[in-house]
Amino acid sequence: MRIPALALKRKQWEPFAFASPAMVLIAFVIVFPLAYSFYLSFQNFDLSVGPEHEFVGLKNYTEGIFRDPRFLGSVWNTAVIIAPSLVLELLLGLGIAMLLSRVLHGRPIITALLAIPAMVSPVMAAMAWRMMFGVKYGAINNLGRQLGILDVYFDWFSSPFISIVAVVLVEVWHNTPFMMLVLLAGLQSIPQELYEAARVDGANPWQRFWSITLPLLKFTMVVGVMIRLIDLTKLFGLIFVLTYGGPGGSTETVAFTTYLAGFKDFRMSYAAALSYVIVGGVLILTLLFFWMQRVREARAA
Amino acid sequence: MKRFWSATSVAFLLGGLVMLGWLALPGPARSARPYEGTTLRTVVNAEFVKYSLSLVEGDLYDKLGIKLEIEVIPGDAFVAKTLLEFNSGQSPWDLVMFGPSNMPDYGRHFEPLDPWIQKLKLDFGMDDIVPVFAKVMLRHQGKLVSMPYDGDIHIMYWNKVAFDRPENKQKFKAKYKYDLQPPKTWRQWDDAAEFFHGWGWDGTQAKLFGAGASYKPSGSGYSYHWWRPRFFSYGGQYFDANMKPLINTAAGLRALEEMVKTMPYYPPGVLLFESEEPKTMLVKGEVPLLYSWTSTGKRVGNATESVIVGKAGFGLVPGADIDGKIVNRPDITPGRAFGVSKYSKKIEATMKALEFISLPEQSLKIVMDAKTIMDPWRVSHLKSEKFRKLFPDADKYLDAIQASFPYLVPDPVIPAADEYQRKLSFEITEALAKRKSPKEALDSAAREWDKITERRGPEKQKAAWAEKSAEMKSLGIEYHADWAAKAK
Amino acid sequence: MAIALERSAVVPQRAKRHRIWRGLGDALTYLGLATALVFFLGPFFWILTTSLKGNEDFFAFPPVWIPAEPSLKHYVGLFTRSSGARYFTNSMVISTLSMISALVVSLPTAYSIARWRFGGGLLSIFLLVLRMLPAIALIIPIYIVYRTLGITNNYLGLVVVYTVLYIPFAVWLLVGFLRDFPLEIEEAAMIDGCSRLRALAQVIVPIIAPGMAVVALFSFIATWNEFLFAIVLTGIETKTMMVLVTSFTSGGTDMFYGEASASVVLGVLPAFAVAFMLQRYLVKGLALGGTKG
Repeated sequence: MRIPALALKRKQWEPFAFASPAMVLIAFVIVFPLAYSFYLSFQNFDLSVGPEHEFVGLKNYTEGIFRDPRFLGSVWNTAVIIAPSLVLELLLGLGIAMLLSRVLHGRPIITALLAIPAMVSPVMAAMAWRMMFGVKYGAINNLGRQLGILDVYFDWFSSPFISIVAVVLVEVWHNTPFMMLVLLAGLQSIPQELYEAARVDGANPWQRFWSITLPLLKFTMVVGVMIRLIDLTKLFGLIFVLTYGGPGGSTETVAFTTYLAGFKDFRMSYAAALSYVIVGGVLILTLLFFWMQRVREARAA
Repeated sequence: MKRFWSATSVAFLLGGLVMLGWLALPGPARSARPYEGTTLRTVVNAEFVKYSLSLVEGDLYDKLGIKLEIEVIPGDAFVAKTLLEFNSGQSPWDLVMFGPSNMPDYGRHFEPLDPWIQKLKLDFGMDDIVPVFAKVMLRHQGKLVSMPYDGDIHIMYWNKVAFDRPENKQKFKAKYKYDLQPPKTWRQWDDAAEFFHGWGWDGTQAKLFGAGASYKPSGSGYSYHWWRPRFFSYGGQYFDANMKPLINTAAGLRALEEMVKTMPYYPPGVLLFESEEPKTMLVKGEVPLLYSWTSTGKRVGNATESVIVGKAGFGLVPGADIDGKIVNRPDITPGRAFGVSKYSKKIEATMKALEFISLPEQSLKIVMDAKTIMDPWRVSHLKSEKFRKLFPDADKYLDAIQASFPYLVPDPVIPAADEYQRKLSFEITEALAKRKSPKEALDSAAREWDKITERRGPEKQKAAWAEKSAEMKSLGIEYHADWAAKAK
Repeated sequence: MAIALERSAVVPQRAKRHRIWRGLGDALTYLGLATALVFFLGPFFWILTTSLKGNEDFFAFPPVWIPAEPSLKHYVGLFTRSSGARYFTNSMVISTLSMISALVVSLPTAYSIARWRFGGGLLSIFLLVLRMLPAIALIIPIYIVYRTLGITNNYLGLVVVYTVLYIPFAVWLLVGFLRDFPLEIEEAAMIDGCSRLRALAQVIVPIIAPGMAVVALFSFIATWNEFLFAIVLTGIETKTMMVLVTSFTSGGTDMFYGEASASVVLGVLPAFAVAFMLQRYLVKGLALGGTKG
């Protein structure tokens, strides 16, 4: 095969020139502000005090990590919301993707319809669900009453436990479609010949699922879960509209507490420090995840 | 030199002629719409505030030629966003709405009114402002910088159907050994809430509720306003002279324990209720009892949504019986005021506009409208015959507001006031959601308060508090350690 | 499939059983999907009917599932009183501009990476970190930079932020499309005397246009949905739909129930439109990186 050399040949400056518009913009809107907010995280910039601020060393970081029970509580809340959401999104997403892969007619349109929640903003999703959950005039309670299974006055935010259930429900509604699409892509990339060969060997559907689908889908599942995990650590819009962190602080996530520190307490430096604590935590979590993955693969080999 | 003089005199002559011509113009044409073509940028925190300004915009243009361009920044981001702009030393707005408990944050960005009052001969009708609002809403470091727009206080509302029904009276007497009546004390309130909860006290089969409240940990903290009147009537105070928080004293604990204990008598959803939900339940006849912002009265009297028009009672927020005397401590809640940005390039026109919307007859239009949630803040509003006949018993409603004025407790308006309140509010909801015991919650709030004081400079805070507590003392509010035990 | 048919011809009894199972499986499949559709689309249905109800129907019991006399008065209210038209237009303009500029900026970068492996593995790391970063870490510094430059309350300011936030994802997708592009065609064009830039614009772009459309539409949706930057970096003239929706979430929600739901309906319209337009590309595109910037 002939290698088309001309298309690959380049002048020294060309790769840079082509990438430069994006690089300049990124430097301007991301790199510089990041550096600046990193600098701010060592200051005591407080909007209600004024524009002046001074160096306070690691004070913001030590306060966030050791002296702020509310922030530490929100780390726990975030975990409590993330764990069931991830499991449910994965299971439901896989289930729906497998159903979809069986469908021969109208698959694109059904996929599109099912995908819509994932394309709606968290704020919109939460607004819609607020009207679904509403005591007395919400759709769920009214439907429940007509079916005779729910009191129309059932309060979806009456206790920390039930509120977390409600938040997880909305989160699952919002992002299962994303998981479904990822897994559907994964399913479609599995060669059909494998299934046919298995069928010839007399494998039943259950065996085919365990020995072909699951192993080959593992990588896609890991990627999907990883992306959702990272996104869930930023869970904010949903909480903002649906519960505002309540009742009590039971649904306050790390992103929400950070928002409160910055936008309600006006402590911009502290909020910046908290964001870096979060990014650090997520980074460690991600690396741990990849490391575990690698160890397991090594063991399997 | 000669040329200079002749040029100057020609200029003066011409100038004089122009002046003469201008003076010779018919009066009205000159004075009509003196600020024609001026558009002022205004910022408010909700769609309904924008709506309220629309009630006076027409006249403002007819009289002064000023138009308003109104920006709505959603409530939650409002203060942060406006402070961001102000701190950068400029502001896109001329006229700025704010919550008076944020005065320590905003005050330095506002243009003092007094020099302009002299210069432009403005009349803000200072004597007509309800004294307690004038005292707590208008000044920053002694200088007049704002005008009230919304005079928020809490008063109590009750549904007479519940309280006047003979069967209810009998049943109540049998159970509690005293006569059913609109509650005067917290104990009576709690009894009534327990009594009315869960059955059709209006004679129907409906499942109705004991009382209304707003416990959402939002904004500057709703739950806080349902704890504070109890706390203060039990002898509480925010800080002692050394800035040591007094919120976790016996008074605070008793108030919070009562709230936690009576939680079951409030409607489902109450933990996330904001201001409007319980009002809706009151006007729909689902709760017999609510204390809430004064604007509630207008919804009560609005026949298009209210089923209790003419059937509602209005009175003081309950208090505590201390040595046979009832101590009421209703809240002044944040409310709204307008200030003039000192970075504005149209200060003069903005001052005129502020004067105009604050005029007794203009502001009356706003506070009378049922959809505005804006509340009376002028003495003349309360006396207005039109207002007093707006809906059945409107006069009793306005009298109840008037009767509350001597007892009001203001926010702790010292630097970081908002943060103190929000931290406390949060801990109160923690206790209401049963994630912490009342004691744990209040202790933890006190620790947070100490952290704020330490961060903002204990000496500075102490000085500000000394001034504020003296002001509260002049309103008759002091710490009484023994009241919590003897309050009935 | 051919093998299966052959085998069933040999063993007819088993084939019959197979067919029954298959029929049952299909029925269950469609039942499962129908349930999923109800769950995932139900809330939209409720919001839509709520926005068309009269005020008295909100609290009615039994609930009004479909209003007998649908009315558009909440939409009218939204457009007249709450300047809904302005917000909607702003959202449209900002999303469209961001979409175009994200494409224009990302394409050459993607080309540089696809052809010359520019940047090595840096892109994926950058993508990961950017995704982890809470918006609040960026928002204040960006605001301060913008204030200095005087571009708050300006379309340009938001467009620049959204463009940049979307670059990593757009580049990632475009690199995929460009790698699949046959080098021979490009070379042929360059031998004919095309400059590289012209080859990119006139030869490559038309061929990968469908892929670019996918990138564009995802970028449109991501921009449309953003709201924290939209609150902080806008002013009276540039507020977007998302800001309008959140201004209904507190205080007067009860009184503006109808208008709040109308604003949600308008806010989710683009999601529906894009989902329908992208039907066939959804799996390929969304699966690669998600729409939430």
